[in-house]
Amino acid sequence: MAGFVKLSVPVGPSSCARAATSEEAAFRIDHPLASARNTRVVALDEVAAGIVREAAALEWGQARFFTVRDPGPTLVEVEGGEVALTGVLEDTNTVVMVSVTGENADAVAVIGVECGARGIMTAGLVVTPGALAGEALLQLRPYARILLVPAEPDDLVELLKATRA
Amino acid sequence: MLRPEINDLLCRTGPGTPMGDLFRRYWQPVLLAEELPENDCPPVRVKVLSERLIAFRDTDGRYGLIDEFCAHRGVSMWFGRNEQGGLRCPYHGWKYDVTGQAVEVPSEPENSNFCANVKLKSYPMVKRGDVLFAYLGDPAAQPPEPEWEAYTVPEGHVFTSKRLQECNWLQALEGGIDSSHVTFLHGGNIDTDPLFKGSKGNLYNKRDLKPYFEVVDYEGGLLIGARRNAEEGHYYWRVTPWVLPNFTMVPPRGDHPVHGHFWVPIDDGNCWAWTFDYHPTRKLTEDEIAAMRAGFGVHSANDEAYRPLANKDNDYLMDREAQRRGETYSGIAGIALQDSSLQESMGPVVDRTKERLVATDAGIIKARQKLRKAAEALQQGVEPVGNRPQDQRVRSVAIVLPADRSFVDGIGDAMIAEPSKPHTTV
Repeated sequence: MAGFVKLSVPVGPSSCARAATSEEAAFRIDHPLASARNTRVVALDEVAAGIVREAAALEWGQARFFTVRDPGPTLVEVEGGEVALTGVLEDTNTVVMVSVTGENADAVAVIGVECGARGIMTAGLVVTPGALAGEALLQLRPYARILLVPAEPDDLVELLKATRA
Repeated sequence: MLRPEINDLLCRTGPGTPMGDLFRRYWQPVLLAEELPENDCPPVRVKVLSERLIAFRDTDGRYGLIDEFCAHRGVSMWFGRNEQGGLRCPYHGWKYDVTGQAVEVPSEPENSNFCANVKLKSYPMVKRGDVLFAYLGDPAAQPPEPEWEAYTVPEGHVFTSKRLQECNWLQALEGGIDSSHVTFLHGGNIDTDPLFKGSKGNLYNKRDLKPYFEVVDYEGGLLIGARRNAEEGHYYWRVTPWVLPNFTMVPPRGDHPVHGHFWVPIDDGNCWAWTFDYHPTRKLTEDEIAAMRAGFGVHSANDEAYRPLANKDNDYLMDREAQRRGETYSGIAGIALQDSSLQESMGPVVDRTKERLVATDAGIIKARQKLRKAAEALQQGVEPVGNRPQDQRVRSVAIVLPADRSFVDGIGDAMIAEPSKPHTTV
């Protein structure tokens, strides 16, 4: 085509030069984002349970908090009631596992396999201040798509807030 | 998401801001040495951390970085005459040395001591390799001069470029930490780019498109390990260090030079993406340097003002046909511009109250947390990390390890830079 210019140039309001200004940023649609994550947080040992209970006391959108012990098909809500893992995972898209001591490896495996089968995102917090390796890390590694090592206790709240849990 | 006040805290780096104070505890790259190529060469405007400065190299080869504006009437010293040991304002002839001290005020009587009381703000600036670093902070808190490995290797081992990025520094930095975008945005480059192709690690990259990540807190910042399946019972790890506040390195591929970045705020809506490539044990070849100048690897092809030739004014030379053919994922050529085009599209300072992060953004979340804590702690008198020589002797690593090993244990001293030590790469 005669006169065809292959490379685009800013000729209209959709050009990058115009669209990426701070003035244009003011016209972005402003509506509240719904909480998109049905996040479930699972403490894998007693020390981790303390961290999770502290986080659970804050205000969250759809996050729910549990503890678990071997062999794992049953979770315990922070309020104390027992629930089946499979039921909890039905409406979940992210599971955050928190481990300090590296206990309850069987339960971790059960949760990890179930999440893998259902396409649920998994994250692990290895709260072992000062220690970069250990049972907790090895236990979570096969099942957590992302791990924080060593995580600090406030990392859980930071992660949940940042992901709008 | 971030609360607006935290987003502001992290993004604003002008004088007197908490993040500005934090940045002012670190030596930062401010000019390529080629910008002041010889004694008495023309002065250069420098804007960094929202301060307007002028840099010059005097008759004796000393570098000066001083307030851009003459103390007399506020004229820009960019118009100055660089001559006989100082920079002279062309308006009334006031002359300053590299420390900003006025050394001549021609309108004053001979033997007047008026000069002694006129001094422009100045900052120390030193040459390391092919880069000039400056320190804009409190002289009493000045850390040792920079010792990044790229700038301690012998001459000819390093090549540095810089490019203007028209967005806030944190958007650019977060791209350097966010390993999960690489598979998508840059997926087409590793086999064709002359600075990447041919490494065994590329095979692992292509075989396993869903890496796992481990974000490890370490003294100078974070180590972000991306893990992919390798041979039976082994993982291929790519380990990216982030050192506070704005240094990242990309894991190496084969015997190619290893590269990294400094993301330096110009003002709150612009930054310099500094990009270096170096090899610890050999000189860079002519072909490698030519490729870097042409915009391969993580460099970009730029104009004389270091603005990429593909920029937002020409829609980054978007090529939808190349995208359709699968040559590029986004339609933009080159890794640097693939990143900056998207980061600039967020706007000069992205509103992080509206973002929707996911768990794989944990590296970004953790980095923001560490930056915030460091900035807040400094306000309480606690000095930050990342500016000590031991923090800067860091390397990125690519390695295959048994599946049951912590990558930090596995890489051991491989992430510690030492002269002439080969880098650990796959």
